[in-house]
Amino acid sequence: MKPNRSVITRISETISRLENLTTLYAFFFVVIAVLGLVTLPFITYHDDQLYPKTIDPNSSLNPYDRGGVPFGTTPVKAQYPENSPYVGYVTTYLTPLSHWLADHTLHIGTTIVAHPGGIIDEILYNTRGLDTVVETSILFVAFAIASYLFRRDN
Amino acid sequence: MFNLPTGNIGGQELFVLEFGDIVNYFSPYTAALFVFALIFTVLAIVSRPERQVDIAFGGDAYGAKEVSIDLMRFQRFMAIACGLATLGAMVSGDVFNFTLFASLVGITNIGIVAAYRNRHVLNAAFQYGIVAMLATVPLFGGAAIILASTGTLSMWELFADGVAVPIIAKAFLVLGVMGEGMAPFYVAKAEITRAQGAPFILMVHVSSLLLFLRVIEIVISM
Amino acid sequence: MSTAYTVGLLVAVAGLIIGFMAIVRERDDLHRILLTDLAEVLALVLIALVATDLAEALILPGLVVGISELMAVSEVYIAKEGLQKPHIEPAFHIEVMDSAPGILALILVAYGIVLSGFTGGAVAAVGAVFYFMCRDHAEQFELIETVSGYAWVIWIAAFFIFMFLPQYWLFAVMMAGGAILLKVMAKMSLVGTMRGGSNV
Repeated sequence: MKPNRSVITRISETISRLENLTTLYAFFFVVIAVLGLVTLPFITYHDDQLYPKTIDPNSSLNPYDRGGVPFGTTPVKAQYPENSPYVGYVTTYLTPLSHWLADHTLHIGTTIVAHPGGIIDEILYNTRGLDTVVETSILFVAFAIASYLFRRDN
Repeated sequence: MFNLPTGNIGGQELFVLEFGDIVNYFSPYTAALFVFALIFTVLAIVSRPERQVDIAFGGDAYGAKEVSIDLMRFQRFMAIACGLATLGAMVSGDVFNFTLFASLVGITNIGIVAAYRNRHVLNAAFQYGIVAMLATVPLFGGAAIILASTGTLSMWELFADGVAVPIIAKAFLVLGVMGEGMAPFYVAKAEITRAQGAPFILMVHVSSLLLFLRVIEIVISM
Repeated sequence: MSTAYTVGLLVAVAGLIIGFMAIVRERDDLHRILLTDLAEVLALVLIALVATDLAEALILPGLVVGISELMAVSEVYIAKEGLQKPHIEPAFHIEVMDSAPGILALILVAYGIVLSGFTGGAVAAVGAVFYFMCRDHAEQFELIETVSGYAWVIWIAAFFIFMFLPQYWLFAVMMAGGAILLKVMAKMSLVGTMRGGSNV
């Protein structure tokens, strides 16, 4: 503990400690976010969005009803529709069970992620399929790390 | 139909790979990075781990640390996964897809170092893990702000002249990649290089370097 | 619309600043993990502010990335601290704990498969978690790893069908729906079961 250490010595000592890494990174983030806070009011929402949300309260598929004919072409506002010739087929597809539910209740729309088919599946599997592939790979790698550490001693 | 709007940063596109909305591209710049990443991935596949030698101070005795087969296989798997993730990030033509690849690089980096039993190294892996987790916040945040303010995520649209990307989104992207690849934290990285298994550890450095070069290209072109 | 977005953005970024300030001040490793997880939720808020179907679809990868990194990092934490699960007798043991798990788990898993997709995975996972809670789960764990690997492969295959043979889209949707069932089930089965220790 020498009293006359320079500022640079003290700074380099702080950042060389591994435990301070998180602090340092979070600090960087706070600085950028605070500076960026000023620019936020100038960011305007672009009105012409891809895959816009439409809500039709009378439909039994309520929040997810995107219209269209099952097993027919349905216009979907994708980035490059020409790259996905069958875009829209997944959007309109309902499994037989879901179709029966949609005919008889008003609540199938709330569980649209519960069965294959629908707009979310269209985006996740078809038009932006590569995202999902990477996402699954991340899960797979994390799983491999965790299970390796978990079972190492057995 | 595809034409890179800016030819002055990465050059004209050489080859286009279409995956639905995500259109990957090879320009001279990204192709060079891709080849670089490919070379190191191949190196990680074919190389064998180095063995550190401990020398007893004041005597002639020395001993080589054994690397167990299990550890070697696990690290090689992680290094190859890291290489593939880097390859993907190099040619990605979509901002959100790029951020996902960056997260994959981050988590495989943790995997490479987390395999050791040394407490020091584990501590380093843990601290980097926290930073990599934190880094997903600016990465996804930046991509989300870009999507909201421009209405697209495709770099083909974003690189065009008329599209203004908010400065905070760019800053968030760079900050996120800094966290995932830990590029500016090389000082503390010495802790990781103290671990054994040179070719795989090397992958950590290569991936973060390439990732950083790529994000700079993206940010400048936008 | 624009005003709403700006206000939402300001609130979210203010929340992020508060969250990251907390991480700056926090010294304890375990609390850092928890705070990091909290901050990741705010990244999802930023995506959700876009308020399109696309944003809804992007939340899923964002969420999964956060959860999987959390899983890996907490396992590193356990290894780092050398934490062991204490060997204590279960608080109580009754006959129904021997017979019920098999039956209930079977029902829940079967129902989950009927539902398929994301919710189906969650329902099936509840069955699996219940089974693991009541029984010793050393060897079943390996099974989950294998299942997770297969789910990954099925998913990749579905992706390639979508990209290169789009006319077989129905087949690909079914494959992906089945794979997400396996994936979510494998993921959720791990909740609370992956602790340190000798033979757990």
